[in-house]
Amino acid sequence: MASGDDKRKSSGQLQPEREKKRKESILDLSKYLEKTIRVKFAGGREASGILKGYDPLLNLVLDSTLEYQRDPDDPYKLTEDTRELGLVVCRGTSVVLICPMDGMEPIPNPFISQD
Amino acid sequence: MASGLDSFVNHTVSIITSDGRNFIGTLKGFDQTINIILDESHERVYSTTTGVEQVMLGLHIIRGDNVAIIGQIDEDIDNRLNLSSIKAEPLNPVVH
Amino acid sequence: MLPLSLLRTAQNHPMLVELKNGETYNGHLVSCDNWMNINLREVICTSRDGDKFWKMPECYIRGSTIKYLRIPDEVIDMVKEETIIKNKQSRDPKGGRGGPNQRNRPAARGNFGGGPGGGGGGRPNKPGGQKLFQKNKAKPS
Repeated sequence: MASGDDKRKSSGQLQPEREKKRKESILDLSKYLEKTIRVKFAGGREASGILKGYDPLLNLVLDSTLEYQRDPDDPYKLTEDTRELGLVVCRGTSVVLICPMDGMEPIPNPFISQD
Repeated sequence: MASGLDSFVNHTVSIITSDGRNFIGTLKGFDQTINIILDESHERVYSTTTGVEQVMLGLHIIRGDNVAIIGQIDEDIDNRLNLSSIKAEPLNPVVH
Repeated sequence: MLPLSLLRTAQNHPMLVELKNGETYNGHLVSCDNWMNINLREVICTSRDGDKFWKMPECYIRGSTIKYLRIPDEVIDMVKEETIIKNKQSRDPKGGRGGPNQRNRPAARGNFGGGPGGGGGGRPNKPGGQKLFQKNKAKPS
C-alpha cells in the first residue's frame, strides 16, 4: 500500500503542471457572478441571465432569464422573440456553450467572400 | 488496446462522418475514443451534376463521436480515379 | 500522436471549431482539458446556415458538442518537439509514438483564422455547401 502511494506521488511530481490542470476546471465561472451570460443548450435552446450560482458540473442558477425563441420549423434558428423565465436552474449536462453577454454582438459577415 | 487503427497511422485514409461528409487525409494519430488527427486533409463533396469537388482543408481533429467509417486508401487506385467524372448523391446525415 | 496532445499544443493558436449543431466558432484557443472542453477568445460565431455572425470576447464550449476542429498546419510539427522533451524527462520507453516520422515542412502554409482571404462562414450544414476556408496554396505532392 505505502509503496503504491509513494509511486503515485513520485510520478505526480514529474508533471506537477498537468496534475494541476486536471484538478482545476478550465472554466472559472466566478468571474461571471452577478453578470449576464449567454447559455446555449443541447437541442438548440438559448437563454441569457444573471449568473447567481454554479457548481463544478456546470449546473447554473440564472436570474432575470430570457429565453430566445426559435423558429418552429427549425429548432436551431432563432427569431427576434424572447420570453421571460425569471429565476431558473440550468442543468449542467445540457449546457453546450457559455459566453459573457457583455461584448457579444451581431456583426455583418466578417469573412471576405472569394467566390 | 489495439483498435486496429495502428496499421493506418501515417497512411492515407478516408473518413465518413456522421453528418455524411467524406474527409481524406493522412492519419497522424487517434485515441481510445477514436478522436482522429487528420493531416493535409481535403473534403470530397459529391454531387449528381458536377462531379466530385475537392476542398483543401489542412490539419484537423475530428471528434470520435462524429466518426462513422475509417478506411485505408490505396493511393495507386485513388490516383487513377477521374473525380470530375464521378457523380453521386451526397450522403445523408446519420439520424440519432 | 494523441489528438488531445495536438490540441494542447494548439493553445494560443487560431482555430475553427464546428459544433454538432452546425455552428462554427473562429477564435484563439485559450485552454482545453481532457474532455476536449475548450475556452476560446476573440471569437466569431457563424450560424448553421452561414448567414448570421456574432462577435464574442470569449466563450467556453463543452467538448462533447464538438464535431471537429481545424488547426493551423504548423502546429503538428510543434507537438513532436514537445513529446520528445517529455520522453527525455520521464525516460518512458513506451512513449514517443511518432518519433521516427519527423519531417520538414515549409513553415506556415496558407493563412488561418478568418483574416482577409481566410475564408470563413457561409456554409450550409450539409455536404455540397460553399467552401468554408479557401487556402491559396499548392498541395505539396
